[in-house]
Amino acid sequence: MKDIIWLIRKTLISKFRNKRSWFLYFGLPIAGALLSMLLYGNASGTDLRVGIVNEDGNQAITADTIQFVGELKQVRVNATDKTSLNQAIEDGKLDIGIIIDKGFADSVRSGNPGKMTIVSIKGAQVTAAVKSMLQSYIGNITAIGKETSGDQEAFDRIYEGYRQPSFKLTADTVKDTSSTKSVTYQTFGYLITFMMFSAVNMSGLILREKENRTFLRIFSSPISARTYVLANVAVNVIIMLLQIVVTLFFMRNVFHIDSGVSYIEFVPVLLLFGLSSVGLSLMIVAFAQSGAIAGAMQNLIITPTCLLAGCFFPMDIMPDTVRRISNFLPQHWLLDTVNKLQQGNKLGSLYLNLAIMAAFAAAFSLIAIYRFGRNNDTRMFV
Amino acid sequence: MNVLEIRNLTKKFGDFIAVDNINLSVAEGEIFGFLGANGAGKSTTINMIASLLRATRGEIELLGRNIAKHNKFAKMNIGIVPQDLAIYEDMTAYENVSFFAGLYGLRGSLLHERTEEALQFVGLGDKHRSFPRNFSGGMKRRLNIACAIAHRPKLIIMDEPTVGIDPQSRNYILNSVRKLNDMGCTIIYTSHYMEEVEEICTRIAIVDHGKIIADGTKEQLKSTITDTKDIWIGVKSAESLKVDSLRNVQGVTAVRMDEQILKINSKTEVNNLNDIIQKLIRDRVEIRSVEEQEPSLETVFLTLTGRNLRD
Repeated sequence: MKDIIWLIRKTLISKFRNKRSWFLYFGLPIAGALLSMLLYGNASGTDLRVGIVNEDGNQAITADTIQFVGELKQVRVNATDKTSLNQAIEDGKLDIGIIIDKGFADSVRSGNPGKMTIVSIKGAQVTAAVKSMLQSYIGNITAIGKETSGDQEAFDRIYEGYRQPSFKLTADTVKDTSSTKSVTYQTFGYLITFMMFSAVNMSGLILREKENRTFLRIFSSPISARTYVLANVAVNVIIMLLQIVVTLFFMRNVFHIDSGVSYIEFVPVLLLFGLSSVGLSLMIVAFAQSGAIAGAMQNLIITPTCLLAGCFFPMDIMPDTVRRISNFLPQHWLLDTVNKLQQGNKLGSLYLNLAIMAAFAAAFSLIAIYRFGRNNDTRMFV
Repeated sequence: MNVLEIRNLTKKFGDFIAVDNINLSVAEGEIFGFLGANGAGKSTTINMIASLLRATRGEIELLGRNIAKHNKFAKMNIGIVPQDLAIYEDMTAYENVSFFAGLYGLRGSLLHERTEEALQFVGLGDKHRSFPRNFSGGMKRRLNIACAIAHRPKLIIMDEPTVGIDPQSRNYILNSVRKLNDMGCTIIYTSHYMEEVEEICTRIAIVDHGKIIADGTKEQLKSTITDTKDIWIGVKSAESLKVDSLRNVQGVTAVRMDEQILKINSKTEVNNLNDIIQKLIRDRVEIRSVEEQEPSLETVFLTLTGRNLRD
């Protein structure tokens, strides 16, 4: 144990003396969080952008419904036409579109509401919230229609009373958390990419030691190969833990990103993923003959798999085939776990995701150990 | 007492036999020269002594204990000065020595004391806080030695410790080797510089194609060569010299230029000095001195292996 600590101490001193290490281990993940904020934490803040197409003319019920939506807190309403609405939603300029077809007011008055369509590609809880508020409002007016059974005068009288402030429905805040959740998700995408790169960088120390021959000097001392590799893994895990804590600290306290989940819950999940990264990095080092080959393998493996797993872009925009492929990547299971935590699942209920990440870590490490064991020359001593 | 005893040592890499049934012993207090051209099996043998490679067959004993069974004991008592610099450029001289000494279990004040001692020994006592990237080649070589001796090993293996350094640093290192030996260390020394080996080694083994082909003091080795003599001719400039034409002179077995000395190996029984001088005059080479010498260690090596040490 003393030997492991001795090796860890030396590696940490050596690593953190180098300014580039600070940039690689902490600067890049923080920059990733910043980039996510710029890309996904859009300028409109958390306001929900609603486009309304009114094809029902100047009917009082229709006008009141539009006004009701407009009075909801943190909602911005724009009147538009059908073609522009669809285009704006596709372009991401609008979050929700409400199309009020001709005859909407009459259908409500008759007690059989229809002629209204809500369009969104977000499919998130936010649309459901707006829909629910609208349904509640329209449901009240429909109830008046049903009670008056087609008596126009009675309907108008009761409806007028309903419009009085004393009966008015309280407008609640519809908080759009999808944006901050996207920032969290994508920040983690960048973080795990950088975690993987730093893991290979750390394990690559073994190759660099081989190349500068200090490796042979270490192994001519009583230090065993197992002690040496364990120390390397320990330093890797320490650096990852620091990376995770620093990045989460910046997300929470500097960038004020509301992840929707306690940040503490993310630490063990990210650390478990970190173990997969360490396993993968050892595997790369075991197969690479030199630092240059390890660098090439790192780029060939990490960048494409991160792309496929949704580290750089939301999985929602990926085709089904890519989504299916991503099931075979540890990054996917980490991001899926983050997603599910954000949807309100408890960490304990996500044991399958956690087990799969642990299995990836074990599989990578076993392959690396097998490969290390078959090396039979002094340059490949570990 | 023998510090090192090697019996029937063999190392194979697939079908290739790198070390072929070597038997060797190194007595306490010796500076043992281990000579061989590149690929002769020298480094493989050293790596097996240092437990960096497992032998295919045979055994190695250090201070009477089998190194395969007493691996930690063996490693604690061996210090390696590798041919390639094995130091960290991003750590100070003190940190380098302290780190490597720490691998042998030294800690605290003892570690500090030994680190200081090793740095003083190699003449880097005033360079504690300096980084090797700012060192000259000779200083790096000396730091390389300090890293190997701080834990006070009984056997020090020096693999080409003077490669690529200035004469001043080389002298410093050679003196350090003698001092270490005076302090009781046994040393195995390999070098491509034959004069170094002749100067400091008390016993020499020549390895070729994985086998020890000669083993003894330099005098014993030289006495094995009775049919060869060395002719050294000092010349002003060798630009116009046709070396190949000299090889055609009867009895000449090898010719090489070493700075401004033309070193010729020739068979003892052939009297060819006149022919050689006439050739040189014909090539308009200005002769400054002519010496006929006893065969040098280099001649011994060339005669036994058929190639130069630096091949």
